[in-house]
Amino acid sequence: MDYEQNENMQQPKILSLDDDFSLIKQFIDGDESVFSELLKRHKEKVRNIIYLTLSNSDGVDDIAQEVFITVYRHLKSFRFESQFTTWLYRITINKCKDHLRKKNIRSIFLPLKDEEPVFESINEDTDIKHIVRNAIATLPDKLRIPLVLKDLEGFSYQEIADTMECEIGTVKSRIFRAREALKKILKPLEKELML
Amino acid sequence: MKKNNTDIELLSAYVDGELSTAEKKYIEEKIKSSLELQKELSDLKKLKELTSTSVDRISESPFFETRLYASINEQNSSKFNIKKWIPISALTLFTLALMAVLKFNPNLLEDIIKQQESNIIGFYKENLQPLLYAANLTNEDIFNFAVYQELPLDNTNNQILKLGYDVKGTEYFEIKKSDDISQNNNLQKFVTALDFDDEEIKKIDSIIGSYSEQISALVLVNNQNAVAINPNIWNTRKLILADILAFAEKHAASNFNKMIPEQVMQFDNHSIAKWVNEAKSLKDDQYIFCTPDSIFKEDFVFDMTEFEKNMEKMTEDLAELSEQKAVLREYHFKVDSSISKQKNNSDWTKQFKVFVDSDLIKVSIQNVAIDIPEIDLPNFDSIAIVIHEATQNVRSVRPPAPPMTVGNKGYNYEYNTVTPKKKGRTDVNLDSLMHIKNMQNDKNRIEQKERMKSNSKENSIQFFYNDSLILMQNQELKNEMDKLRRELQQFRYDLTKPGEIDSGQSKKSRQQVKPVDLDEIEI
Repeated sequence: MDYEQNENMQQPKILSLDDDFSLIKQFIDGDESVFSELLKRHKEKVRNIIYLTLSNSDGVDDIAQEVFITVYRHLKSFRFESQFTTWLYRITINKCKDHLRKKNIRSIFLPLKDEEPVFESINEDTDIKHIVRNAIATLPDKLRIPLVLKDLEGFSYQEIADTMECEIGTVKSRIFRAREALKKILKPLEKELML
Repeated sequence: MKKNNTDIELLSAYVDGELSTAEKKYIEEKIKSSLELQKELSDLKKLKELTSTSVDRISESPFFETRLYASINEQNSSKFNIKKWIPISALTLFTLALMAVLKFNPNLLEDIIKQQESNIIGFYKENLQPLLYAANLTNEDIFNFAVYQELPLDNTNNQILKLGYDVKGTEYFEIKKSDDISQNNNLQKFVTALDFDDEEIKKIDSIIGSYSEQISALVLVNNQNAVAINPNIWNTRKLILADILAFAEKHAASNFNKMIPEQVMQFDNHSIAKWVNEAKSLKDDQYIFCTPDSIFKEDFVFDMTEFEKNMEKMTEDLAELSEQKAVLREYHFKVDSSISKQKNNSDWTKQFKVFVDSDLIKVSIQNVAIDIPEIDLPNFDSIAIVIHEATQNVRSVRPPAPPMTVGNKGYNYEYNTVTPKKKGRTDVNLDSLMHIKNMQNDKNRIEQKERMKSNSKENSIQFFYNDSLILMQNQELKNEMDKLRRELQQFRYDLTKPGEIDSGQSKKSRQQVKPVDLDEIEI
């Protein structure tokens, strides 16, 4: 039964892979109109990854535009050695990292301002999601990105490793460390969050 | 109990469903036997649930595709935009041009560098003058140079050229400041110690002096603070020293032997002559240039003959200029016609000496043209006392006062005061400062009184503190009062005379003319 279920689950993935590859082949063969199909298929996923990686919605569309422009330019040189999504998400994560790096550099030259407290004492009106989201946002990039890819986007450790171009063990370790860090951050609100 | 991080890491992966079958079996066993791991597992699951649900998916962007295709099309159209290639093209063209130039003229850069070097060298070579002219080298200096290896370069700054040998015997020179003045008169001391007579002193002066030209040509200086030194200077120094010592030994052997170490006494005229020839045969067209920027060795031929010619020409020019200057200093004065007749009687060229300086012209009169006879003047000291006494009695005289009106209410009487000469105030000041001071005091008092007078207009009598004037005016007033009194008596007599006109006015007048009125005018 389990086996059948697994087979059924993987089937769409293989079809999707085939579909992506066939679309890319058509694109390489000169039919650039198929790019809109690829865009339609992966646009929201890419935007969500960017949103989760940046921890806010500012500039998500700009980065997503850059991602797809890069894909458009380099799609003809795609080597079919990995899934299209792995390549796409890798480009996405790299663009996000670039953005964060530039933002950090810019922040050096900005005047200091009082940081808003991430957590306020919990009450009826306080949104638990908001608190957890803020807690995730405080994590360093290298811990936050694998965690959100896993818990929010449902990536496997292997997919995360391919996307972030690192070992699977590193992903496992970073996700564990991210969770430990989150537990520490949320410790004062343990009872309210029912941890 | 301390947590086992490996187990918890496995637990984290277990929650994510990322463990292998063996790992999964292992951790499940552990969980069964450990309450702590069970608690940890429960926490991890809750945390995963929280994180998984913490972020809502981002809302769709309706114009995303439109914007994207617009950007892609824009970039496609500007793909061959020439503007972005301009800097690269320019740089490439410049590089190619430079490569072409260097290919056909490979020594270009070297030539440029050499040109710059020669410009700098040429700058420092300009106007090099022999030290003799720049530093006024004396025989004393040459003697000190021979003996103490020091040559003054700039007397005003005590800058010297010091020759020497290091521990390996290598020659060196240094240009430095020297405050050592102990070497003064060394030549004189040397001569005295050797007990030379006048003739010998002249000879040794001549010997030393003969080297001055040679030394001066070996050390050249200019306004750019450059010093060019011919390496031959070491040999020249030795030569001068040997020459001096040889002369000293020849002419004052006994004294010389006492003061000079034995090893020095090996000089003979033959060897000195040999050294002279050797020194002269050495190549002397290379100089070591010490400049504020660098030190370098450079070919340089100093033509002493040419320099001397130039110097002679310059001396002639200076002499000519001096003559011109003298002509310029001859001043021609227009003499007044009234005394021009005197000109014939005297030699005017010998009468004035004119000194001209930047801010002064001084004319000295040598001879007075007209013979003025001597006049016996009195001794002014003897008459000073007389004059002083005379001036004590000289007082101020003011302009006449306006006619004085005496009385009021009808019977007014005017009388004229004596009109003094209109001189104003005569200040006599002969020779005593005390007079001036006294007069100043008088003036101050008068001014003060005048101010008082202006405050009380009723009293129009002017006060004069000058005694003589007051006396004079008193006398005048007395005369006038007498005259008035007589007239009053006559008036009284007329009033009391029967049959005279008796009018209200008369009564009134009678009432008015009272002793009070009389008292008022009595002084």
